[in-house]
Amino acid sequence: MMAGVGGGNDFQWCFSQVKGAIDEDVAEADIISTVEFNCSGELLATGDKGGRVVIFQREQESKNRLLSRGEYNVYSTFQSHEPEFDYLKSLEIEEKINKIRWLPQQNAAHFLLSANDKTIKLWKISERDKRAEGYNLKDEDGRLRDQFRITTLRVPVLMPMDLMVEASPRRIFANAHTYHINSISVNSDYETYLSADDLRINLWHLEITDRSFNIVDIKPANMEELTEVITAAECHPHQCNVFVYSSSKGTIRLCDMRAAALCDRHSKFFEEPEDPSSRSFFSEIISSISDVKFSHSGRYMMTRDYLSVKVWDLNMENRPVETYQVHEYLRSKLCSLYENDCIFDKFECCWNGSDSAIMTGSYNNFFRMFDRNTRRDITLEASRENSKPRAMLKPRKVCTGGKRKKDEISVDSLDFNKKILHTAWHPKENVIAVAATNNLYIFQDKIN
Amino acid sequence: MEYKVEAHRIMSISLGKIYNSRVQRGGIKLHKNLLVSLVLRSARQVYLSDYYSGACLNAQSEREGNEWDITDSEREKFPPSATECDRVESTEEPQPNEQPEKEREYRENDDEVKSDQVDCTSTLQEQNQNSSLDSVAKVSSETPPESITEPKESPSDSAVAERDSTPEANGESHQPPKPHVCSNRKRSAEESESGDSPQKRTKVASSNAKEDEEAEEMDTSNVSNLITIFGSSFSGLLSKESAKPEAEAEDSGQICCDQMLKNLNPWSTAIVAF
Repeated sequence: MMAGVGGGNDFQWCFSQVKGAIDEDVAEADIISTVEFNCSGELLATGDKGGRVVIFQREQESKNRLLSRGEYNVYSTFQSHEPEFDYLKSLEIEEKINKIRWLPQQNAAHFLLSANDKTIKLWKISERDKRAEGYNLKDEDGRLRDQFRITTLRVPVLMPMDLMVEASPRRIFANAHTYHINSISVNSDYETYLSADDLRINLWHLEITDRSFNIVDIKPANMEELTEVITAAECHPHQCNVFVYSSSKGTIRLCDMRAAALCDRHSKFFEEPEDPSSRSFFSEIISSISDVKFSHSGRYMMTRDYLSVKVWDLNMENRPVETYQVHEYLRSKLCSLYENDCIFDKFECCWNGSDSAIMTGSYNNFFRMFDRNTRRDITLEASRENSKPRAMLKPRKVCTGGKRKKDEISVDSLDFNKKILHTAWHPKENVIAVAATNNLYIFQDKIN
Repeated sequence: MEYKVEAHRIMSISLGKIYNSRVQRGGIKLHKNLLVSLVLRSARQVYLSDYYSGACLNAQSEREGNEWDITDSEREKFPPSATECDRVESTEEPQPNEQPEKEREYRENDDEVKSDQVDCTSTLQEQNQNSSLDSVAKVSSETPPESITEPKESPSDSAVAERDSTPEANGESHQPPKPHVCSNRKRSAEESESGDSPQKRTKVASSNAKEDEEAEEMDTSNVSNLITIFGSSFSGLLSKESAKPEAEAEDSGQICCDQMLKNLNPWSTAIVAF
């Protein structure tokens, strides 16, 4: 299925599935903290605050139901990280999964990296659907056979069994981060990956766990001089020597690993001049970038700050080429959002497969899509009320002032506890996964 | 006025967040605390510049104004002396929780108290420089120098040297600790801190960053000390605000506020632009 040309509004987004408990009472451990499709889109992984990873697999498209593409069903569930205690610093290390990144598939097994605040683990997910039967020394129960009873030799035979999916940790990359890991990114060389915390970025080799190279270090000699931290980092999708990292000051630095061993000096520096008329107490907070993503083409990158999404051309450093307002109506509410901590929410953003559309989340379980070609945008809601199979999603609108039309929702009625921080777009098709607290919604484009 | 109230509110919220971050699971989050400290600093600047700009404008508009009356009368009531400060602190009513711990802390060393005065005035000077308000400096310089005893200067100076991390004017220790004293006068019920606010105020700048350093060390005991420091500095600022309207002459206090409000317009644009 080819990805559609055009963007959000040319599509008719329909509800497909929802995963997770219906219960109003949400257990903290069930809150989804990361969502990621694998490179083919066949698998969809989620990580949660309880340190678990759940992988969904798309079933093969059935001939009977042509109108709906394959559904995602649970493929594997495992506990990736456990809470730990750092005795030296008297600190508890949360088991929450901050990021999951898939490795490109090279054999029958699937590999992914999962990271909490301090440790990254490489997991191998493999299938077992055959079992050897007819052992000589033990019988079917596994009990050892009485040796005197063995009169003949036989060759064990592989018999089919119920599919079993096993997840095993193949590498554990630990003790390399003093601060909290916020990003991991697999390099296009498929041999290395980077991990970033608040002040440092490390480069790892997937095979080597006992050391990593520090490639960015912005820790000042005197911590009193600290003014910014690293908020996200990503490897370039094609150039294995290039990566970017964003900061809490709203800047992005592009670095070339060929230039020097330590990439403290950037090759490119992306910053948009601040608009002095919109200055407030919270200007610095809302300019902090929460996510940075390269386009699939590698020519653009997208950044998300609190109120907007910006698309940057890598060849132009002084301003973004496109800016999309996600929820500008919140600008006048920044003080309340500061009080209830919502201003610190870290929204992610994602590209569609053809880079023609981008998506990001908002509050009240709303998420937004922007068509880069037509400049149209749409607001949709992930809710159980719109969860009839193949039900089309109705566009939502937030009323910013004046008379509220029917079907509009006023800013003050928005539920700020229902936030969509994590979304993912299938790499090839118009299928999206949206994490709403403890529920995972999957929406598909209705086939035109 | 409302900017000050708003700034004050934001400061208290920020301090609450920093305090709560200590007990959060997963340790102190550097990014969030950095952002909160930036907001705290901005709010503090607005709050203080608003206060001093108001004082300056009053002085400019009314040379014989009530502002001066207040300062003169207060100066009479509380001749700036280290011993006086000590007395003020000791007459403070006992307040719950951290109070005993802090009083112990503060009474430990007389020098510490003396340096408070100096720090206070130095901060005053710093604010003067920041807002380039000559008249406030005039207010300070007109204080009769004889009210400050000589012997105090040397320990104060040394205390300044070791305490101040922010660049100060050259330790003119003859500045009156008037604002410091004012803040000691009035203590609202909810404030449970004692009055070494100016000292802690200068430390806030370094403490903010210091907390980041603490974040690296992830040493919660140090952070708890910093939180008490933040708390006391905040209370000092709060007392400062209440000192003004609750000045000896209630009317003059009212007039001060009115004057400030009248003159706020040219400054309000500056604050809005901020």
